[in-house]
Amino acid sequence: MAALGGCGPVVAALLRRGPAPGLRPVPRRYLYKKKWAATAPRIPCTRLALHHFDVNYSLQLKDLWPSVRASLLCEQKYGALLNNFSADDYVTQELELMNATDFVSEGSRKAQQGAAAEEVRREESRPQEVPGKVRTVMQTETQAEMSPPLRASISSNIKCYTYPRGDITRFRPARQDSLGILDYYLMDAASLLPVLALNVQRGDLVLDLCAAPGGKTLALLQTGLCGHLAANDVSISRTKRLYSILNSYIPKNIRETVSVTSYDGRDWKQLEGGTFHKVLVDVPCTTDRHAVMEEENNIFHKRRTKERQMLPMLQLQLLMAGILATKPGGKVVYSTCSLSSLQNECVVERAVDIAETQFNISVHVEDLSHFRMLFQDTFSFFSDCRLGELVLPHLTANFGPMYFCKLHRV
Amino acid sequence: LGKKMRMVRPWHRLPREAVAAPSLAVFKARLDRTLTSAAPPRGGRAVPGMAGRLLRGCVRAAGLCPRRAFGEAAGLRDMGFSQEQAQRLLGVESRLSPQRREAAVAQLLLLGLNAEAILGLLERRPELLRMPTERLQERAGKLRGLGLDGGQLQRALIRCPELFTLPRKRMAAAVRLLRERCLFTAEQLREVLWTCPNVLLEEPHQLHHHFQYVYFRMGVQQKEMVKARLFRMPFAELRNRHIFLERRGLYQTPCKGQTQTNNPKLKDIIQLSEKDFLANVAHSTPEEFEVFKKLLAREEEEKEEEEEEEENRDALYTEEDEDFDSEGSKPARE
Repeated sequence: MAALGGCGPVVAALLRRGPAPGLRPVPRRYLYKKKWAATAPRIPCTRLALHHFDVNYSLQLKDLWPSVRASLLCEQKYGALLNNFSADDYVTQELELMNATDFVSEGSRKAQQGAAAEEVRREESRPQEVPGKVRTVMQTETQAEMSPPLRASISSNIKCYTYPRGDITRFRPARQDSLGILDYYLMDAASLLPVLALNVQRGDLVLDLCAAPGGKTLALLQTGLCGHLAANDVSISRTKRLYSILNSYIPKNIRETVSVTSYDGRDWKQLEGGTFHKVLVDVPCTTDRHAVMEEENNIFHKRRTKERQMLPMLQLQLLMAGILATKPGGKVVYSTCSLSSLQNECVVERAVDIAETQFNISVHVEDLSHFRMLFQDTFSFFSDCRLGELVLPHLTANFGPMYFCKLHRV
Repeated sequence: LGKKMRMVRPWHRLPREAVAAPSLAVFKARLDRTLTSAAPPRGGRAVPGMAGRLLRGCVRAAGLCPRRAFGEAAGLRDMGFSQEQAQRLLGVESRLSPQRREAAVAQLLLLGLNAEAILGLLERRPELLRMPTERLQERAGKLRGLGLDGGQLQRALIRCPELFTLPRKRMAAAVRLLRERCLFTAEQLREVLWTCPNVLLEEPHQLHHHFQYVYFRMGVQQKEMVKARLFRMPFAELRNRHIFLERRGLYQTPCKGQTQTNNPKLKDIIQLSEKDFLANVAHSTPEEFEVFKKLLAREEEEKEEEEEEEENRDALYTEEDEDFDSEGSKPARE
């Protein structure tokens, strides 16, 4: 707590993001007594947010904006992140009976098919090969020079079920198994993409810089590969939520290997620099979907104008801290749930620039376009993203918005 | 005889082709057409009942009975039905006595409907044949009183045969609502009635809600509503389309007093087929609209449930309050 130091309550408030789909699976607005007297704001924040988006995103997304706008204003879709630590074996069957499919394994199957097709092509270009040897050659080759799609999905033990396009069925609330551990976690399925992009390998030291409320942290733990997982979030109250999620999903012995901290993410470099293989920087942002739907805790409130304007700055600082926390050769994934290029590509570009000029660290942006190919059945991706990938909400696949970009520290 | 004498003058003013009719029914029909189209004598209105009254007088005077003179099918043929149409007509409610059939058909002819229209109407609504002619006549008079005449009345009846069977009170309530609460002018009301006669069938409070939604939420004036044939589209469908446009950012409720908007015209929202609406107005795909409709229906359902819950809770509170009142405040009152 002392480490919060000079940053004060402003940052604490900054890092508070909207209520994420937690234990309560069905999105439901809480009832509260409306104030009707003078304290009621004259223009609701959601209206302000919508106006702001209309002005900015219609330029950025052009013809796509109306469709995205309608999707933001309609009920979002959820994915069920399967809890590998749960003893309930029937969940998979139950979900499949309901017509839900695991989009991660579908993506990896596609990747394997793609890789196989590539192999075949390669085989055909070398007709002199002896048929008996083909198999061994293929195996060594796949291991030696895996195509990026295959690499992206091979390590993952993550299973996330979603209903097919256009199906608006909801998942039932999560259930406890005999040990009191919940069987799945309901979250925006697009939030898994940054975790998949991070591609944790066995024994990796992983840092989740802005971890609360814990959906992505939980997904990182589902891989079962993290050598050590550090989950940090500046807000104490939000780390409490992170704890409660870990408590209800992760058995005690594994839970204890996760170190949960409450530092200001921007100061991370002063604590331990250059130690992690993989860093996830899921920064606070305008949370577009929340901003147009919920009045409570809305970043577009008049009183929070300054805070909102400072967001890109904060995001940049957090990403810089993330880059500095990475070992040379390690990977950083930057993600937001906003459509704004100011909070997405621009931040990444600035960070790469600053790392180069001020810290003399060379950082490359990795190409993630294979994600678009693998998961296009489940999500609708924006095709004109300069850097990284952006999932656009669409009525038939109402996930996101989710921006993610992978950086490689050389 | 006195009656006959009084009828003579208008008789002489009738055009020749109306008088020289081959049969009574055709004569009736022609007479009616002439009476409604011709300038009414002495500034009065062309009273539709006039043809009937006139005829009855004539028939009684001449001692004619149309039923005896012709066979049933022949009778219908003489009313202007073709052989085939007469056969089809006889197939409707075939057990009905010929008199009643002919009387009802004659009444419909008198309303100015043509043979094909009558046939279509009766095939859809056979029960009309069983209605007493007085009721048909009374209802037709009522509709005429609302300003529908000739072709308009015919179109309204073809579009909505239920106008005959609708209880009078319901109809009056709907009309009153449109005039007094929705403030349509008499002229607008007439146009609404002949273009969308089904408006009279709606429950008054639903009709009111329909109107208020378009007036306040969509910001459309009565004049445009009439022009767009507002009531032709069921309310639920209109709301689907409007909210879809609104969420896509293509429709905004105008501010008070704002006259210029970029909103698409109500006419385009209502009259286009779903395919054309999506392609030209909403610029979207059928898949998206399908999902949207499902989501909106669910939203609506849940909102209603929530409201019900709230009401139940309020009811609970008031009950408790009452209890509290009865126990706590009694001594104070005494």
